[in-house]
Amino acid sequence: MSDIAPATDLAPEAARAAPPAPLDRGESLLRRHAATFLRSPSAVVGLVVLVLAVLGSLAAPWIAPQNPYDLTQLDIMDNMLAPGERLAGGTVAYLGTDNQGRDMLSAILYGLRISLGVAAAATIIASIVGASVGVLAAYVGGRVESFVMRVVDLQLSFPAILVALVLLAVFGRGIDKVILALVVVKWAYYARTVRGSALVEKRREYIEAARCLALPRWRVVFRHLLPNCLPPLIVVATVQVANAIALESTLSFLGVGVPVTEPSLGMLIATGYQYLLSGKYWISTFPGVALVVVIVAINLVGDRLRDVLNPRLSK
Amino acid sequence: MKHDMKRLAVAGLGSALLAVAAPSQAQELKIGLASEATSIDPHFHNVGPNNALRKHIFEGLISNDENQKNIPELALSWKPISDTDWEFKLRPNVKFSNGMAFTARDVIYTLCRVPTVENSPSSFTVFTRGINAVETPDPQTVIFKMAAPSPLLPNNLATLGILSSELNGAQNVSYDPKGCKDMGTPPKSADFNDPAKAIGTGPYKLANYTRGQQVVLERNPGYWGTKPAWDRVVFRPVPNQGARVAGLLAGDVDIIETPPIQDFDRIKASGAQIVQGISNRIIYLHMDQFQGDGYKTPGIKGTDKNPFLDKRVREAVSKAINRPAIVERIMGGVAVAAGELLPTPLFGTSPDMKADTFNPDQAKKLLAEAGYPNGFEVTLGTPNDRYINDEKIAQAVAQMLSRVGIKVNVDAMTASTFFTRRNKYEFSLYLAGWGADSGEMANPLVALVATMNTQTGMGHTNRGRYSNPELDKLIVEAQATVDDAKREAILRRASKLAMSDYPLIPLHFEVTPWAVRKGLSYKPRIDQYTLATEVSPGT
Repeated sequence: MSDIAPATDLAPEAARAAPPAPLDRGESLLRRHAATFLRSPSAVVGLVVLVLAVLGSLAAPWIAPQNPYDLTQLDIMDNMLAPGERLAGGTVAYLGTDNQGRDMLSAILYGLRISLGVAAAATIIASIVGASVGVLAAYVGGRVESFVMRVVDLQLSFPAILVALVLLAVFGRGIDKVILALVVVKWAYYARTVRGSALVEKRREYIEAARCLALPRWRVVFRHLLPNCLPPLIVVATVQVANAIALESTLSFLGVGVPVTEPSLGMLIATGYQYLLSGKYWISTFPGVALVVVIVAINLVGDRLRDVLNPRLSK
Repeated sequence: MKHDMKRLAVAGLGSALLAVAAPSQAQELKIGLASEATSIDPHFHNVGPNNALRKHIFEGLISNDENQKNIPELALSWKPISDTDWEFKLRPNVKFSNGMAFTARDVIYTLCRVPTVENSPSSFTVFTRGINAVETPDPQTVIFKMAAPSPLLPNNLATLGILSSELNGAQNVSYDPKGCKDMGTPPKSADFNDPAKAIGTGPYKLANYTRGQQVVLERNPGYWGTKPAWDRVVFRPVPNQGARVAGLLAGDVDIIETPPIQDFDRIKASGAQIVQGISNRIIYLHMDQFQGDGYKTPGIKGTDKNPFLDKRVREAVSKAINRPAIVERIMGGVAVAAGELLPTPLFGTSPDMKADTFNPDQAKKLLAEAGYPNGFEVTLGTPNDRYINDEKIAQAVAQMLSRVGIKVNVDAMTASTFFTRRNKYEFSLYLAGWGADSGEMANPLVALVATMNTQTGMGHTNRGRYSNPELDKLIVEAQATVDDAKREAILRRASKLAMSDYPLIPLHFEVTPWAVRKGLSYKPRIDQYTLATEVSPGT
């Protein structure tokens, strides 16, 4: 899917559409959204998978049979074991081991941790930066706005992977650097989305009211304007998490992301790729499946969120 | 009659098909390279891929056979005529691929041009040093007058591709060790990308060079020697192992370098064959041992000192590494654990120099004695596309060192980045390889463990900056000994002395595999070069 689509088609619509039906007594907005969300079985499945993945990666240090990043726990003599064989220590490697003797199940859980963590951190930072820039641009208007939005246009005209590759080539490897690169390539999406909805919201009566009360500018922008621009931001952010995971995996696959001794899913796939045609399918396949499942789950949730938060589609 | 006609027609058609098929097979050879040459310039970078390519286009006075024995090429014969002087008789009636004649003047020009190369990552000047004067009594004779006895002059000259003095406007060049006279404007390295400038006497000439894509060579019709089997040779860099194998199996290339060990079975099943032979390439770990005032080695944490200055730490690193496990599990058995810098039976090696034994307990004890009971942290730099399984070996080493308490962060990168950073001394510990192109012990000793000296060229790749005056003396002595038996004895002593001090950690010797498609054969070479001239049709 196009990276830009949700930002352009959704934001103005969401804001322009008529306000949703008034809430019934005792019905909170959240509960109504939750009920709408749960009406889609595929979204529920996606959510369950996502929650399991997040829990699994958070609990990795306790449930993984091995810490694949602790070199003292690895033994080269265990390398290339097929799924189901036993490590020298007696643990069963249910998903086999890679070329360094890492248990694949542990490596996937820890890899998910990196992939999800990097994506979540990058998304949060990028959305904060992007939303602030976007809402300020919309509110201030004039030259500042055109300047900021031209920068956004410029940024969006480059393929994300290209910019990220250049940045990592300059900065070197490391998780912090990957997050930084992802923030740099992603903030523009949020800036554009939030500016779109802020442009509409800032003409509403409540903003005028706030201005008439002579509230300080920052308060109008961040307490009144920004919260009302959040629904499209949430949708874009959800979809962009999946996007960030894919991008991080691509970077690691290309060997410019995380350090080699702390492989994320993309790097595990890259390692196994060399053995894929030699019958050692498990090194690439299992991390690949894990990656696809998580990305699909996030996209299902994100799609449903878009439907739920888009008033035009609600009946 | 009718039948005969039909049969004739069928036979005719058959032979026509054969006639069409056979030449297309015999004419073009496509080679899948693991690593690309960094330049067409024969004197730019002394590194395997460049030297292998060089041998097709630019011949030397002497060549090496597959076991690295010197054999005549542009020189017909050579002999020492005094302690310091050598006489070379050149091959008559040899022409460069542009028709210009090859004479003794071109030998002088080549010696003059080597030091003018700019930004060489690994220079050939080590091979031209020590030549005081060059005399050419007649166009077919060259006399080298050396500053000191130089038993290795023939080996050194074998590394230099001969350029044409006439092509470069230096017909009257005269040799002077401090800078030659009348040598015109020496060509820049990039000039050689132009086929009209890349002129040598070799069996092939450059047809097209597209960096990262291909090097195309065409047969040199005026070649003096045996006509090569192939009209056209295409070298394609395919750094990814899997893609290289896929290319061979799909018929895109006819021969590939270093097929991955895990694919041997699949390659054999397809009808192609694997040929392999031991190489002169040692894979080793170098440790920063520079002792400058206020110098702090980079990438070390957990201590203020440089632990590698302590011999016990270096020994501990060696003892912590399980070489048989690396050979067995990472290299798939296709490697030989190393105890010195060259494999036996090459010149100057000793059969009793076995690889250090794996003993993690003793390693821990040595670390504790040296004052690092809790170890320390270090970054291990490694290329990830230069040597067979380089990055995987580095990871295995990291694993093994971690077990004795040395926490290792592996910093893997592409070869060009790695060598640039290594040459700036950005690693305290790095993994690299050294192919002794002369095939005798003085070469790796001079390159890797002799004290670095930019004047004499000693220790030119000793980027750990290890220094041992006693060892230096032995190496210098060996270099001045023309008698082979005496020289070999000195080199053996030097090698043993060096290894006992752990200036670097030898890991293993690479065994080089090639995969060639059905119907072709290749003779494995100790120097690991892939030479189109050595690929023959028929098995």
